[in-house]
Amino acid sequence: MDIETVKERAGPRQFGPSDDMPEEYRRAATRMIQFHANSEVMGGYLDKEFTRHAPSLDRKLANTAKVQDEIGHAQLLYRAAETLGVKTREEMLDELQNGEGKFLNCFHYPVDSWYEAPMIDFFVDGGAMRRQATLKSTSWTPYAHAMDKVCFEEGFHVKHGESILRELMRGSKATRERTQETFEEWWPRILQFFGPTNDESTHNDFAQEVGLKTTSNDELRNSFLNMYVPKAEKYGLEIPEYPRIFERDDGTMAVREEDLDWDEFWTIAKNDYEGSHEQIGSRARRQEAVAWVRESLDSWEGSAAGTPQAAD
Amino acid sequence: MIWEVFRQEKPGDYHRHVGNVHAPDREMAKLFAQIQHARRMQTNSLWVVPQSEIGEVDAEEAAFGGRTDKSYRWAMTYNDIDASFAKEVEDSEAEQREAAKKRREQLESEGEA
Repeated sequence: MDIETVKERAGPRQFGPSDDMPEEYRRAATRMIQFHANSEVMGGYLDKEFTRHAPSLDRKLANTAKVQDEIGHAQLLYRAAETLGVKTREEMLDELQNGEGKFLNCFHYPVDSWYEAPMIDFFVDGGAMRRQATLKSTSWTPYAHAMDKVCFEEGFHVKHGESILRELMRGSKATRERTQETFEEWWPRILQFFGPTNDESTHNDFAQEVGLKTTSNDELRNSFLNMYVPKAEKYGLEIPEYPRIFERDDGTMAVREEDLDWDEFWTIAKNDYEGSHEQIGSRARRQEAVAWVRESLDSWEGSAAGTPQAAD
Repeated sequence: MIWEVFRQEKPGDYHRHVGNVHAPDREMAKLFAQIQHARRMQTNSLWVVPQSEIGEVDAEEAAFGGRTDKSYRWAMTYNDIDASFAKEVEDSEAEQREAAKKRREQLESEGEA
């Protein structure tokens, strides 16, 4: 299939492994899905810290379940990326470990306290789910299928995040102030979650033309603001003055881009932030620590005759 | 030899198991699958898989999702969280609730609840 045909036929769940897709499409889809898969792994890593900080057994259980979900999502996504035939799962995991794999900006920052849990579990996961729901109609079918399961589970994370936020905002004055401070620290990062504006985004147009993406960064950021700003206010959080949020004539909300720290964003995008090194290092050490599991799986698969080829 | 047949109705759908056919080889199995499982049903694609190639784990040997108490997955445990502010969160809640309901019914029908 040539690229023009792909653009013509592009639509929800239009292409799959049995289609002969052009290199350009397969590379773009791999880049996008690998980024998503890496983010699930790194999000899981960040989130596991909260299990230690969680104030009750229930919260610990819920958090453990969430971490388990995220790692599972990564497995589904690496598998979906593999179906494009550009990179193997092994290669993608190696790239992540070597610091070549890219992942979501929010997961480059260290987390130190329970106050940060709702920032990730409610706002970041909420933003992620906004995006993931639109990807149920991506043109690469295995990716869309993965999103069916991911979205099924993800709603639980967002609801828990909201529940934690609500609990904190009903706590003592000190607790509420601390939550507000944490929110102010995280808010700009959360706004940058959706990436640069459409005119700054390198990959947006092509991804939309071939149906990989169905919604632009701007549209996603705006719809996120429209839903999550009222929620934040409902629990008594004050939206920081900067970065400035304003209402457009049509009633939708937008953010003044010049108020965001894009230098930091692009440093993070290159995996060059202080936190990046820490997070990737932690991931690399873990990857090494469980090498024996991969090796024993490989040697077992090699030695057992495996499944015999179906008789034809 | 028995071949299990999976039918996909429309592009992008999952392939769902619809039955099986008897055939000596893959080519015949594909032909029989067309005749038996796709002649009158809307179909986009068929998969045929030798029955012996299918690995099975059933409810007798494994505790599948829902057999342990997973109430911590419901934020209701703490307080009422209204999921209706975002459609995707609401959809997820509805799907999870549906799945939980089915599991409960299953447990009840087995007399375990």
